[in-house]
Amino acid sequence: MKAPPRKLTLEEWEDWYAQLHRAGLCEPPYGGRLGRHVLLESDLRLRHLRFDNSPAALRLWNFLLTENQRLAQARAQGEKLVGTMKDLGTVPVMAYALPGLRAFYPDGAWWTPCLMECSDGLLQQAETLGLDASFCPVRAMLAAFENGQHFPRPDLLLCSSGAVCDDFSAIAQRLERMGFPIEWWEMPRRRLPEPPERACALPGGLSAPEVQVNCVREEFERIGRLLSELAGQPLDGRALASGIHEANRVRRLLAALRQAVYGAAAAPLPALEMLIAEMLAIHFCSDREETVTVLTDLLAEVESRLQQRQFVIPEAAVRLFWVNPVADLRVMNLLEEWGGRICGSDYMFTHALDLIPEDLPPLEALARIALADPMVGSTLDRAARIVAECRAGRAEALVVSRIPGASHCAWEGDIIRRVVREELGLPTLELEVPPICDALLPTLGSRVQALLETAKAKR
Amino acid sequence: MQVFSTSPWVPPEWIKAHGLEPRGIWFAGDFGGAPLPLAAGVCAFANAAVRFAERHVDSAVVFTTHCDQLRRGFDMIAGSYGGRLFLFNLPATWQSAAAERIFASELERLGRFLVKLRGHLPTAKELAAIITQYSLARKRLLEAACDLSARQYAEAIARFHWDGSVNLPSASEKTGSIPLALVGGPLPRAQWHVLDLIEGAGGGVVLNATEAGERSLWCVAGARGTWGSDAGLVPFKTESKGTHEELARLYLDNCIDVFQRPNTRLYAWLKERLTARQVRGLLLWHYVGCDLWRAEAQSLRETFGLPVLLLEANETASDLPRQAGRIEAFIESLTGPRT
Repeated sequence: MKAPPRKLTLEEWEDWYAQLHRAGLCEPPYGGRLGRHVLLESDLRLRHLRFDNSPAALRLWNFLLTENQRLAQARAQGEKLVGTMKDLGTVPVMAYALPGLRAFYPDGAWWTPCLMECSDGLLQQAETLGLDASFCPVRAMLAAFENGQHFPRPDLLLCSSGAVCDDFSAIAQRLERMGFPIEWWEMPRRRLPEPPERACALPGGLSAPEVQVNCVREEFERIGRLLSELAGQPLDGRALASGIHEANRVRRLLAALRQAVYGAAAAPLPALEMLIAEMLAIHFCSDREETVTVLTDLLAEVESRLQQRQFVIPEAAVRLFWVNPVADLRVMNLLEEWGGRICGSDYMFTHALDLIPEDLPPLEALARIALADPMVGSTLDRAARIVAECRAGRAEALVVSRIPGASHCAWEGDIIRRVVREELGLPTLELEVPPICDALLPTLGSRVQALLETAKAKR
Repeated sequence: MQVFSTSPWVPPEWIKAHGLEPRGIWFAGDFGGAPLPLAAGVCAFANAAVRFAERHVDSAVVFTTHCDQLRRGFDMIAGSYGGRLFLFNLPATWQSAAAERIFASELERLGRFLVKLRGHLPTAKELAAIITQYSLARKRLLEAACDLSARQYAEAIARFHWDGSVNLPSASEKTGSIPLALVGGPLPRAQWHVLDLIEGAGGGVVLNATEAGERSLWCVAGARGTWGSDAGLVPFKTESKGTHEELARLYLDNCIDVFQRPNTRLYAWLKERLTARQVRGLLLWHYVGCDLWRAEAQSLRETFGLPVLLLEANETASDLPRQAGRIEAFIESLTGPRT
C-alpha cells in the first residue's frame, strides 16, 4: 500500500498504521504503532514531531526507540554488553566482530531528556550528582547509569580520552568515581605529519604521522584483548576484517542514502529521519544486521520516490548545511517548516560515514579511521571538509548548532563560519538548541528565517 | 627568545636546553590582568592565552591539548601566527607505552620547532645539567612548602616557572589560621589577590594545588627515578634511552593533574597532603568555562569528606566583594563567627 510522501503527526500515523496493517504491513519483532512509545516509555516528544509516512521510516523509528529493550533482551539471552564512549563509530566495529558481544553508546542518553520531555528527571538527577546545567546534556548519561532505568549496565565500559570534549571526559571521570570502572584509551589530537615523520593517509583525505597511528593501533590491540576476554574467544585478524567489511556495508548504504537525499533537487526524505539514519553508523543501534535491513528499506523508498519525482520538501526550500546534532529533535522538523532543507551534514561523526580501509591490517585500518574523527583534529580540518561538502551539496547557507555547555562549541562555531564565509561566501548562523526548545521557538524561528531569507535573496 | 607555555607539563628543561627561555604564561605581567571580550562559553584562561599569543609577536607560545578550550583556541589563531605557535599533545592516559611514545615524539617535534626559532640541539650533557638544575630547584621549593606564607610561596614558585631560579624569603611566622587547600586550575599572578582575601578572612592556604602551584613541583617520591647529583636523587640515565625519551617518561611518571584519565593520582597526591597538613576545607579554583575542574567538586567532597567552596576566577574588580564575601562565609562556617 503506497501513498504520496508526506510528514505525519503521531495521531495521523496511528490511523495510517491501521490502514497499513490492514493492507498486510510486514514488520520485524520490534515493530508496532509509534504511539506505544509514548504510552509505554514516556517518549512524550514524539507527540510534537512530524514523521515520514513510509513503512521504511516506521521501521527506522521503531528500531531506534526499542534499543534499550533490545539490549535488555540481549543481556537476558546471555550476550555481553559493551558500553563504548566518546569515539563515535570505531570501537563498536571491533565489538561486533565477536559473537555474543553487543556494543552501544551510553552517550546516546543525551537525547533521553528530549525524547521524554524531561519527564525522566535525568538532568535534575545529574545536578544532584554534581553536574549542573552548565554541562552538556550528555550529563544525562551519568544519571541513567545511576538509576539503571534506561539501559542495562554494561559488562565493560570503554572511553576514549585525550583529544575529546572536556565536558564528556569530566562526566565520564565522575562516572568512574561513582563506581563504574572505565578502561580509558588514548586518542591523540590529530596533527599533520612533519618532516622527517612518516605520513599515513587517513580516510576523508586527511593525514597523520605514523607515531599517532601506531599509538591508536596499540590502544586498539589492548581493547581487542579486553573484548576477547569478555567474549571468551580471540579477536583475530580474520574476524576483525569481516567486522570491518560488515561495517562498510552499513557505511556504503548510508553514503548512497545521503547522496540520493542530499543531492536531489528536492528532499525525498525529511531531515529528521536522515539524522537518525546517519546515527545508525556509530553503533548500528545495537544490531548491525538489522541496521543493514533498515537502511536498505529506506534507500529503496528514497529511490522509488526519486523515480516518481515525489518529495517531502519542495525544490524551493533553501539548501542548508547543518553542523552538530541538535539536542531537541524537533528542530529538524522546524527547519523544514521554516523553509529550509538539509543538503549536507556534519553531526560530529563524519568519520563513521567514511569507508574503513580494507586493504590494510584491520587494527591499522581502525586506528586510521578513528584518527579521522572530525572532533580530534583541528577545527580547520573539519571546516575544510564542511566547505567541500557544502560545495558538493550546493548549500546556500550554513547553520552551526551549539550544544549547550559543550566545551568544543565555545570556539568551533567561529572558526567554521569564518572559513565557510571566506571560501564560499555563504550566509551562516550559529544557534543554541536546548533539549526542549519550545520556549525559544520565537527566537530560533526568527533567526533561522532571517538566514533563509538572506540565502534566498542571493539566488 | 621567550617561549611561553600554557602548562607546567611541557618540560621547561627541554626549552632551556635548546638555548631559549621557558616562561610559564600564568606569571607574565600582562597575562589575564584585564577583562577581555569573551564569546559565550569560552574559558577566560584560554581566551587570555590566545590574546597573549596574538600580542607577543616576538615570543613563541606553546599551547597544550590537555584541555579542549586551549587546543581549539590554538586552532583559532594557528593559521595567522603558525610559525611561533606550537600545540603540544599531552597524553591524558599515563599507564601505557603508547602514551610515553606520544609524549616523547612531541618532545622531538618541539625540539625541531625550537631549532627553527634559532634554538640549538642540546647535547645529552647540557640537557642533563639543566634537568639537574631544575630538579634541585623543585626540591628546594618543595622543602619550603610549609614554611612560607601562601603569597610568598606563590611568588617563589612563580619565579621558578619564570626563569628556573629559586629565591626563598625567610620563613614567615605562622598564625592560628584555618588550614585550607587551594585546588584547581591555573592561578595567574593577576589573581593572587585571592590569597590575600583568604588570609584576611582568617584562612591559611597550606596547600597550593593550583595548576602551577605545588602540584607542578614533582619530586623523587614515587617516581621511577629522578635527576641530579644530590644525595637521594638518581643520576640522569643518558645511556639507557634517548634523552628526550627519559624526559618524557619522567614527566609522565610525575604529572599530577585533573585532565589525566583516570585522575586517581591527583586524588592520591591530595590525600597525602590534606591529611598531613590537617586541611579543614577545600577552595576549588576554576574558570567559568572549565568543565574539567568544576566536575570534580562533588568527587572532592565525597572523597575527602571536607567542605568545598567553588571560587571562580574574577574577570573584573567589581567581582571582588562577592568573592571576598564567599570566602569569609566559608571560613566562618568552619570556625564560627570571628570576634
